[in-house]
Amino acid sequence: MILILCVDDRGGMLFNRRRQSQDREVRRDILAMAAGRVLRMNPYSRRQFPERELPAVVEEDFLQRAGPGELCLVEDQPPGPWLPRAEQVILYRWNRVYPADLRADFPPPTGEWRLAECREFPGHSHKTITKEVYCKC
Amino acid sequence: MLNNTSRRRPLALLLALATLCALLLSGCDMAAPSQSSPHQPSQSLSGGAVTLDQVPPYSGEPYVVLEDNQPAFTQEEITDESYESYSPLDSLGRCGVAMASVGQDLMPTEDRGSIGQVKPSGWHTVKYDIVDGKYLYNRCHLIGFQLTGENANEANLITGTRYLNVEGMLPFENLVADYVQETGNHVLYRVTPVFQGDELVARGVVMEALSVEDQGEGVCFHVYAYNVQPGITIDYATGESALAEEEDAAPSASSPAGEEETHYVLNTSSGKFHLPDCSGVASMSPDNRQDYTGTRQELMDQGYEPCGICKP
Repeated sequence: MILILCVDDRGGMLFNRRRQSQDREVRRDILAMAAGRVLRMNPYSRRQFPERELPAVVEEDFLQRAGPGELCLVEDQPPGPWLPRAEQVILYRWNRVYPADLRADFPPPTGEWRLAECREFPGHSHKTITKEVYCKC
Repeated sequence: MLNNTSRRRPLALLLALATLCALLLSGCDMAAPSQSSPHQPSQSLSGGAVTLDQVPPYSGEPYVVLEDNQPAFTQEEITDESYESYSPLDSLGRCGVAMASVGQDLMPTEDRGSIGQVKPSGWHTVKYDIVDGKYLYNRCHLIGFQLTGENANEANLITGTRYLNVEGMLPFENLVADYVQETGNHVLYRVTPVFQGDELVARGVVMEALSVEDQGEGVCFHVYAYNVQPGITIDYATGESALAEEEDAAPSASSPAGEEETHYVLNTSSGKFHLPDCSGVASMSPDNRQDYTGTRQELMDQGYEPCGICKP
């Protein structure tokens, strides 16, 4: 599986069980990546996509069901338990700071993840969003 | 006198009632409704009734959660009409509750102007090497400029530490601003400065927010942010300050890092600066990269922010 995470400058993901931020340009990028592939998410993540028809598999236990190469948008749970099964992690950085009570703690200090790609693009409500792709060494 | 600005479309009673019901069911609890009109912002602003003995002492985190993160808005305060309201200064010249229904139509369309002419209660211009940006005090907007574009309004500016401004309040303002910009929805937002007795400098601020159209699914918080500055002792009665004893014992013999000339890499697109070996530098677009040798403070003065990964 390929985990997709969105984090702030301090690795934050959630505050009070709500995502820290969102950006339509990130959604657009995720959907572009998902073309011809399987995109999985849970109902909470589904609600940030306004599209009536979304090419995604929406299930509460989407991570348990994900197979190799499938994209998984992870917003409301720590990714740590799924890293051993993940082949890649795609990290979108908001380049801002928000309150946080759940953090991604990625990449872990074990050093097994290597930054393979990095690019920046303008967001709708964010000046610059950084997209990083990590692969296992 | 209440400084009240109201803009945009008519209010929706049904929305308020539906929102209240949904919140009661969803866990975003609200206080009992008052008797005022359901469609108008309250004419005498009242904030979350927090006293300092309800707040734990500062213990290293810039804010603490209150009331299980559920804001205390009343049914009458819920509206999808944009407005902003500020309390008049009290007899000591102190700010009171500031409240807004933040919508896209309130957000600023121009850069912020100068606010240096405003001297909030307890104001002192004082610098310390250990403070990010040197200046201990900032003129802290109660309702952040990025939310309502309210700038040099003395009813919206308190004497706040750099730490309160950047670590305590800004993250919450960012969260609300992004949500409003992305969804077009409204966020009910209230900031209440908390003073002890006749002190001129607030001990902290209570911040409450609730997204209206989605009944709090997007934004819902209730926190207290401390008006403290690590390493500095503040006399809240007057605003006088001094290095805390620990720093006195270990004086600024160690040259502040911000004064040392260092090689940094700037990202002219994101406005961040990095250490050269930061992971974000390796694949930075060459068009956005600029090498810079100078002090950290110079970069901060130019508006650059330190990278959150390498923490230069």
